[in-house]
Amino acid sequence: MTEREPADGPTASTLGRLRPSSSRPGSLLAVLAGIAFWGWLLTRWVTDWVLARAGLGPGAGENYLSPEPFEALAETFEETVAAIGPVRLPMNWLATLFDGVALAIDIAPILADGAWHTVVLTVVSILLGLVIAVPLAVLRVYGGPLRWLALAYTELIRGTPLLAQLFVLYYGLPLAVWLNDIDAVGRGFVPEYAFLIAILGFTINGSAYQAEYIRGALESVDEGQLTAARAIGMTRLEGIRYVVLPQTLRYGIPAWTNEFVYLIKYSSLAGFITVPELYYRASRVASSTFEYTPIFTLLALVYLGLVLTATNAMGRLERRVAIPGLGQAGGRQQGTSAGVNTEGETALAPEAVEGGSGSGSRSKSESETDTETDTRTK
Amino acid sequence: MSERNPADDTATGGRIERERTTGDAVGTTDAETPLLRVEDLWKSYGDEEVLRGVSLEVDRGDVEVLVGPSGSGKSTLLRCLNRLTEVDSGHIYLGETEVTGPDTDPNAVRQQIGMVFQDINLFAHLTARQNITLGLRKVRGQSKTEARRRADSELDRVGLLEQADSYPAQLSGGQKQRVGIARALAMDPEVMLFDEPTSALDPELSNEVLEVMGQLVAEGMTMVVVTHEMRFARGGATGITFLDEGKVIERGPPDRIFDDPERERTARFFQSIRHE
Amino acid sequence: MDFVPVLAETATALPTEEVFLVTDGLLTEEQVADSLGEDWAFVYRNRWYLLGGTVITIALTITSLLLGFLAGFPAGVIEAYGGGYSRAFVRKSGVLLRGTPILVIMIFTFFVLPIGYVLGPVQALLDGIDYLLGPTPFTVPDVGEAFVAATLALGLRSAAYQSQIFRGALGSVDEGQMEAARSIGMSRLEAIRHVIVPQALRRSVPGFQNEFTIVLKDTSIAFAIGLGELLKRSNDLFTQQTTAILEVILFASLLYFVLTFSTNRTLDYVSNYYAVPGESS
Repeated sequence: MTEREPADGPTASTLGRLRPSSSRPGSLLAVLAGIAFWGWLLTRWVTDWVLARAGLGPGAGENYLSPEPFEALAETFEETVAAIGPVRLPMNWLATLFDGVALAIDIAPILADGAWHTVVLTVVSILLGLVIAVPLAVLRVYGGPLRWLALAYTELIRGTPLLAQLFVLYYGLPLAVWLNDIDAVGRGFVPEYAFLIAILGFTINGSAYQAEYIRGALESVDEGQLTAARAIGMTRLEGIRYVVLPQTLRYGIPAWTNEFVYLIKYSSLAGFITVPELYYRASRVASSTFEYTPIFTLLALVYLGLVLTATNAMGRLERRVAIPGLGQAGGRQQGTSAGVNTEGETALAPEAVEGGSGSGSRSKSESETDTETDTRTK
Repeated sequence: MSERNPADDTATGGRIERERTTGDAVGTTDAETPLLRVEDLWKSYGDEEVLRGVSLEVDRGDVEVLVGPSGSGKSTLLRCLNRLTEVDSGHIYLGETEVTGPDTDPNAVRQQIGMVFQDINLFAHLTARQNITLGLRKVRGQSKTEARRRADSELDRVGLLEQADSYPAQLSGGQKQRVGIARALAMDPEVMLFDEPTSALDPELSNEVLEVMGQLVAEGMTMVVVTHEMRFARGGATGITFLDEGKVIERGPPDRIFDDPERERTARFFQSIRHE
Repeated sequence: MDFVPVLAETATALPTEEVFLVTDGLLTEEQVADSLGEDWAFVYRNRWYLLGGTVITIALTITSLLLGFLAGFPAGVIEAYGGGYSRAFVRKSGVLLRGTPILVIMIFTFFVLPIGYVLGPVQALLDGIDYLLGPTPFTVPDVGEAFVAATLALGLRSAAYQSQIFRGALGSVDEGQMEAARSIGMSRLEAIRHVIVPQALRRSVPGFQNEFTIVLKDTSIAFAIGLGELLKRSNDLFTQQTTAILEVILFASLLYFVLTFSTNRTLDYVSNYYAVPGESS
């Protein structure tokens, strides 16, 4: 038997992933866009909280660049439109573009601040939700009579709109009053009560969906695995903990990615209960300036940036923790194993083919997660 | 260990030279009482009675092969022995301990009774070595290095040390099953149960598993084996138990059962196998 | 809700005397008030108003899913079998629609798109139907701008997801099926039409079931553009009587739950009914 150790270690595989993406102009552009996007967000956040307090940089919420030169450029082009005549259309577009850039510079600090709230809301909620979802799913699958409780919880949460749930928590229950009475709320690092209620709502909502994904993954783990664990003297709980769950959480990553993306997008609903996240901030500006088109275009771009980052990162995570030979990593092991197990790989085979003819590794991981989105989804 | 390679013997159907060793760290029984004693076992699933009063005795160092047509209750009997299936009535003793006792911890029993499955059931997310260390660490509470050393020696025993870092999906069926055997052996069982260990494998892959089993026979391991591999039954077994419809029909040494069965039912069964 | 730029109040008017007067004689307001309290009586009094919102919710779900199917099915076929630019275009638009919150998409279709151009033909179509059928008991409602904008947003977003459902289902049909179809002389298109699609449609039922409930629940987001669906009407009610907030939202949630639950069961039944015998769905 020959050595079947995967030839590429972590470094090699990272390089392997970077190389094909940088060789394609489209993907290179995507990488650059990603760096620019996160560079902007991170420096903005650092400026607002650290540097501004220390008296460095432009100060919290102040622009890095002045929008005026772009406004001036836009005006110039608008003026030329009248003068030139025949080439008026492209000139008009340029004017609109520079107008947009000027506006982007103007509202960038506001968007960055909103994005911070969106990111925190999403990440905290999904992690808290996961903490609830794992026992919930285990209860649902192995819980005996208690499984009805878990079933009722997930069905009720999944059967009603998220917005209605937020309304129940925010308007219907006296949570706001209680939270307002607590001195710590809204001071220092503790956020405002609306933000806390939003986190609560998204955690509850997310936990029900995540529990469903995990349940599906739990059920997909072969029953023999638990039997084998019990045969070497493990208790049922130990078997679930050490054998079934580690496999489940791996299989669950694509579905979990969807939930992550879902929460990023639906965190916009927190705006309805006055949480100053992305949508709320942008719509405030829009309703005062009436510049709906450019503002909501910029808003959509920021969301798109967040969502694509999430799918990318999760795709990477999935490949990193994939069990060698089970094919989740999409044929990275071709040629190293003597064709013993290909069940996992056949499932992804059409995908792998498409990845080659499509637009590089990035779009592949997207389309994979997208497929998941429809089959199990939200 | 005898100078002949025991593995070759099993494969060729020759008789295996057995080393009669007193098992390590047992001492719960003397030579008189059987190591494993099964008394009047009954088990039914709903209306279907799978075991109908099965009794069996296996001495230390014995290799008992259970044969019989499918649905005769062999596998159920095996799973009752380590309480993966709970019996309806009857008693099972391992040495002095009653396996079926109400106060007996099934998890403790299972450490003393190793099991190898037909569908192998290696933990899919763990390497060959980790498959073995998991039980040692989580159940036995051994340290990482201790467990690792033990795992490597077991892998060496089944000839798979080189594949220690491979994941199940990277191993062939025969290799997987050998890791499954090593996983069970690592818990220092007094008895090993084999539930059709080769029936999911291609013939040429089952040989490597049979070789390892023959090696265990030669080392004097007490084994209860459900198998259709008559070469193993002839070459390695000390006793054959023929089961049909949940009852023991006949029991005896391999030569007599194979060549001169007392019961007509047994004779017909071996006839049907030979014609295949 | 002041930050929500509500520019247009939609076709659905606020509760009128007429609505309040409708009682079906099974229960009286007093009975409800006596047993459950004044706030539930308030809900009860406005039940027809809320049920009216439910009808709009259902209508919006159906139009959106229909639009989603009409655009999503061809998109799925293009993604599975199309080549070059058409596939790239479908994919890119899909990523765009799936990566943007439905709330933002809806604001876009309402404030940015020239809905008026769409509204005219839609109204004309409905009037045309009305004219053809003659005077029917169901008079064609006036379609509001918000309704069209919400349908567009939910429909296009749904199309992006439905295309993935159909692409996945088409891809799951064994390649041998295509070869077998070609071997008896069918063209590629005929094979897709007669062999692949019928199998794929059956397999897409579970995914479609999911999509159905998602769209149904997301109609509540049309709240943002002031469409008088169930949640918007609930909001209107509880801003009137703030003591009944919990009661109103719970009642609305119950209606949503009944809708999603019954749709799911119905689609389960449909799925079993059309399943190919011997094949598990």
